[in-house]
Amino acid sequence: MTAVGHRWGAWARGLVGAVAGATLMLTQGHPDAAGGLLPHGRLVRMDPLPRDTGMCIWPAAVQWAERASERQSRRRALPTLGDETKVLAGPPTRKVQDKYPGFAAIAVDPERNEVILTDENLFQVLVYDRLENTPSNAEISTPKRTLAGDNTLIEFESGVHVDVKTGDIFAPNNDTVDTLVVFGHGTQADTAPKRALHTPHGTFGIAMDDARNEMFLTTQHDSTVVVFRKEADKDEAPLRLLQGDDTGLADPHGIAIDPAKEVFYVANYGSSGLRRADQEIRTGVPGSGKGRDKANWPLGREYAVPGSGSHAGPSISVHRLSAKGNDRPLRLIKGPKTQLNWPTGLAFDPVRRELFVANDMGPSILVFDADAVGDVAPKRVLKGPKTKLANPTSVAVDPKNQELWVANFGGHSATVYPIAASGNTPPLRTIRGAPESAPSLMIGNPGALTYDSKRDQILVPN
Amino acid sequence: MAHPQIAVFARLADGQAERLRAIEGQNTMLGRTMHGIDYDEIHDEIVVPQQFGQAILIFGGAAKGEARPIRVIQGSKTMLTALDRLAVDAPNNEIYVPEGDRVFVFDSRASGNVAPKRVLGGPDTGFTAAGSVAIDHTRNLIVVGADTRSADGRGLPMLAIFDRTAEGDVKPRRVITGEKSRLNDTGNMRIYPEGGLIFVTQQTGYVGVWSIDDNGAIPPRFTVGGPGGIIQKPRGLDLDPKHNAVIVSDKGLNALLTYEMPQLFRTTTDQASRR
Repeated sequence: MTAVGHRWGAWARGLVGAVAGATLMLTQGHPDAAGGLLPHGRLVRMDPLPRDTGMCIWPAAVQWAERASERQSRRRALPTLGDETKVLAGPPTRKVQDKYPGFAAIAVDPERNEVILTDENLFQVLVYDRLENTPSNAEISTPKRTLAGDNTLIEFESGVHVDVKTGDIFAPNNDTVDTLVVFGHGTQADTAPKRALHTPHGTFGIAMDDARNEMFLTTQHDSTVVVFRKEADKDEAPLRLLQGDDTGLADPHGIAIDPAKEVFYVANYGSSGLRRADQEIRTGVPGSGKGRDKANWPLGREYAVPGSGSHAGPSISVHRLSAKGNDRPLRLIKGPKTQLNWPTGLAFDPVRRELFVANDMGPSILVFDADAVGDVAPKRVLKGPKTKLANPTSVAVDPKNQELWVANFGGHSATVYPIAASGNTPPLRTIRGAPESAPSLMIGNPGALTYDSKRDQILVPN
Repeated sequence: MAHPQIAVFARLADGQAERLRAIEGQNTMLGRTMHGIDYDEIHDEIVVPQQFGQAILIFGGAAKGEARPIRVIQGSKTMLTALDRLAVDAPNNEIYVPEGDRVFVFDSRASGNVAPKRVLGGPDTGFTAAGSVAIDHTRNLIVVGADTRSADGRGLPMLAIFDRTAEGDVKPRRVITGEKSRLNDTGNMRIYPEGGLIFVTQQTGYVGVWSIDDNGAIPPRFTVGGPGGIIQKPRGLDLDPKHNAVIVSDKGLNALLTYEMPQLFRTTTDQASRR
């Protein structure tokens, strides 16, 4: 058997094992075996559940809660407490909160002269005029349109894509909602999306292959790329899944497609653990969301091999558009010369044949040749105080106007540069969502905190 | 989440406060899904889970920027699968990691590929989906936040109270659970030993407070911040008894909320007990 054949054999055995395991779990009434077939979850209260079901509820409950959430509001009913409980519901003494948007992802629509930004802090998608440039004496720029509110399903939208033909906006959710939302051009306010696709937990980046009508998504927790139909909706299953030891995927973030060479690029932070379909699942460990009964759904954390985790360092992995299963990447861009440091967003310029990397901790934009491989230095680096880059997490290319757009998560801003900019080049224009002097807190999805009694300080992780 | 930092704020920070420092960047090995964090005040260390890499990262207390962890617990012997939260027992040099139907206890001074020094788990423990642990040094107890085991998969949220050094398949001393307990989540927890109080974040928008002596379907003795307050999705939690403060992180607001509640920090279990 060839190496490829061997991998395929292992993959097929894994899938068989997964199906067999699921059947066994159902017959045994395993608590994680809902699979959309049995009523599971914490049926202990009649309160409506929030849509926030992704991270902190176990798999069975995730599935049950998702079904419930389709008919219930995201707002949770207040619990009934009796006289035995003394309710201390007054306001906090202090509240640390960024009142301005944290721009996480960016897309540009040169046909309509619009720039689309997602805001992970205030849970919005904002649309600005492409030529907007916040005057220095203005506090902020006002968006042309804003999408926000319970009906939109917008929360932590980590990616965004705009279809330049239709103006449709696609925004995957990274946490809490596990739903990719699609809005028609011109939609605004608290409007329901035209499509709402249930996605694996931890979906981050999005790229579109318009030639094949396919949508590529990265998922962080399970180190995968899932490929859907571009128009996929609701509970539709992915067309393909790329997941496995050999894929080179490790905490994947941004994704970009080179249609000419028929490859896609993925930005990896580097941390991952192995998955095995025949692994004895750890009861009560969170899984990959509500789609375990679907084809091509990622093997979730409950299938993780204990103690197999590793930190391989950051990389850009390059894959065939048709990659699936445990396919190896065609090549990796990786090593100290690359300057990769939390590479988060990617964009590809098919005209210049260049790959742009939003390098969060640079803070910088790294530009690689489309065919770069190994430990190679970027062909250009945009970096320095004049650039106003601040924790850039997303990048977009406007080939029509020869411009490069950046979302600065740490700067409440979007900045735009000539597409060939390098070095310490100031932006051509800046869209500010906050006064320039406003500190950026970058608190996002804070699931924990601790108090340092020695220094009188509060530590909060995202 | 676009940027997996550990941000540090002054105790009295308020409003649009600037970060004093942040631990962030590739060298830190941090990733998202840091649902737990604990400060070891004896050794001046910060301990945080790295779920994707199945690791426990330990930083110096003053770490900032791209600081590397001073120790990493990671590898095949650890049995770590998808660690989510953790708790540090500084006086006893231990780190508790709840995971599914087990609680792993590691030597907090250890590094590398080490096995847990004890494992708590099994049918008699009565719990699954263990999500959090809190430690009461005064009474030498631990509280495990989990779900009750149930053949039909409809486990109820529970707080299971064990001897601190409990190991293997042992029964808890007491259990707080049941519909009347109003427990709807067993999120991050902390114990105020002097008052004998357990603080637990609740998804319904408050921090519930139970007595460490409670047993059965007992509702919270106090709630902090709600219901009906501004809290939306409380997740992180710690106590600052010196300043009578309950500190909460809220992922619905992306905010830190500090409640100064002297009445709670003067409260003992006896005083709080119901008529």
